[in-house]
Amino acid sequence: MSYRRFDNDDIVVSADSITSPAWSNNAVTLSTYVTSSQAATDSGKYYYHVYNTGSSDQEIQFAIAYGHRLGSGSGLYDASIKGKSYSSTVYGQFRTLINGDEDTDFSFLESGTPTTPASVHFISIQRSRFKEKILPGSILLSLSGSAGDLKLTDNSTTETTDSFVDAGRVYSLYSGSAAGTVISTTIEYGKVYPDVGLIALNTDKLVADNFMGAVNVTSNYTTVDGKETCLSSLQSGSGFSLRADETLSSNFIFVRARNSEFNYSTNPSNITGSGELRHSTMIDNPQSYISQVGLYNDSNDLLAVAKLSTPLLKDFTKEALVRIKLDY
Amino acid sequence: MGYLNNSVVTVDAILTKKGRELLARGDGSFNITQFALADDEIDYTLYNPDHASGSAFYGQAIENMPLLEAFPDETQVMKYKLSTLPRGTSKLPLLEAGYASISLRQGAALAITPQTLNYLGATSTFEAGGYTATIADARVLSNFSGVGVNTEEADNLNSQTTLGTNVSKTVIGTSINLTATTVNTLFGTRSSLQTTITLIGRDSGARVNIPVTITKVNI
Repeated sequence: MSYRRFDNDDIVVSADSITSPAWSNNAVTLSTYVTSSQAATDSGKYYYHVYNTGSSDQEIQFAIAYGHRLGSGSGLYDASIKGKSYSSTVYGQFRTLINGDEDTDFSFLESGTPTTPASVHFISIQRSRFKEKILPGSILLSLSGSAGDLKLTDNSTTETTDSFVDAGRVYSLYSGSAAGTVISTTIEYGKVYPDVGLIALNTDKLVADNFMGAVNVTSNYTTVDGKETCLSSLQSGSGFSLRADETLSSNFIFVRARNSEFNYSTNPSNITGSGELRHSTMIDNPQSYISQVGLYNDSNDLLAVAKLSTPLLKDFTKEALVRIKLDY
Repeated sequence: MGYLNNSVVTVDAILTKKGRELLARGDGSFNITQFALADDEIDYTLYNPDHASGSAFYGQAIENMPLLEAFPDETQVMKYKLSTLPRGTSKLPLLEAGYASISLRQGAALAITPQTLNYLGATSTFEAGGYTATIADARVLSNFSGVGVNTEEADNLNSQTTLGTNVSKTVIGTSINLTATTVNTLFGTRSSLQTTITLIGRDSGARVNIPVTITKVNI
């Protein structure tokens, strides 16, 4: 007999949370924002991709989009139809995605009172960068305007209960000194939605407090549209720290070979042409060397294979326990 | 007084080509239920019962050898399985297929009826559980089937179809039927196709690998 069935408790599934730096090359902080020339493209009217470098190995880190509840701050689809523009599309898209309701606009707290800004900037982290979700408490977003520098971080470390919207968990972005360390909760400058990798910035308040340049909400689409002001503030701030969080599920399979099992080898170097053991000392004291473990289904299909780093001696006086990790 | 060694050998497994195929199929056939151990790469001629330092050193050359990483091709791993046999066994089961190699012309058919030597005290026997036959490249045969084992497991396996790529196909039976492909395009500019059939005794674990050549006849 060469096959042995697993017992029920031989196969266990383990789920581990793995956190890592979000940006390319395992950088915790992104300090360079490169957009190249996207304004003239169709997608550039909605969003800019932001790259980590201008060199050939550049990778998309996140996208930035500008949304206006009334459609200002970007070009109109049709000059004769007011309010239907790229910015209104962006606002409506994220409103539906995050709030799940076309009637619930984005609101932010100012001294405990909800306000509803017309302008909101959205930072959408590239999926490959945040993996499964943004790690709450890891955000430190630096903005800079005429009023000076502003660092924003989320309040997940001080909240006793999580709040949820249609896009999952939501935390507030307040001014902070380090990732997860909030200085003041007076002004909610934004929200972070870690489960969908999104950040919404309270543009009206950031502009009013001079941490971001004003958006030209009266003109139609120009080369200086709503996205540019946020991008400029980010570039001046020169620092965006973020960590990714994902859950890796692994199968752990315990292979147990009892002392009386698997002691004979059909390896051609172990037997002669007629099947006799090559070494007579092995007749009463057979020895085999485990070099690999095969995992099979009921049809004897070899589904997975694991190799040991060195051969493992097996005989009638030894039992072997091999733990196999299988990710898929 | 020293600490007891409570270490457990931990290794990472990789999916085989067949494993990926069955996982993609999503019909429940990717379900690990059993395991086998093998000693591919081990050269037992390195075992030295004349070692001057004593029996503890007989296997020294084997125990210290490094091993290669696993291959994803299921036909190239787990070749030499370890068997569970009664202590005192001096002859190990051998599988006799009747062919050292197989050559078929396009469209030709052949039946293989393997026997197991040195098993359960018999010089030669047909295993009750039958034999597993695996063709490394399923495309080269238009028919590859096993007969003689009427279990649900065998029926399920024998009724599975594998299309399109050079993955293996496995069937179960006491007799294995094969018919060479009539598809000319598989040959390209070549006059013949080569693959292998691996036969494994389902009770004994004995194994034999047979080269297969399909010759083009311009059908």
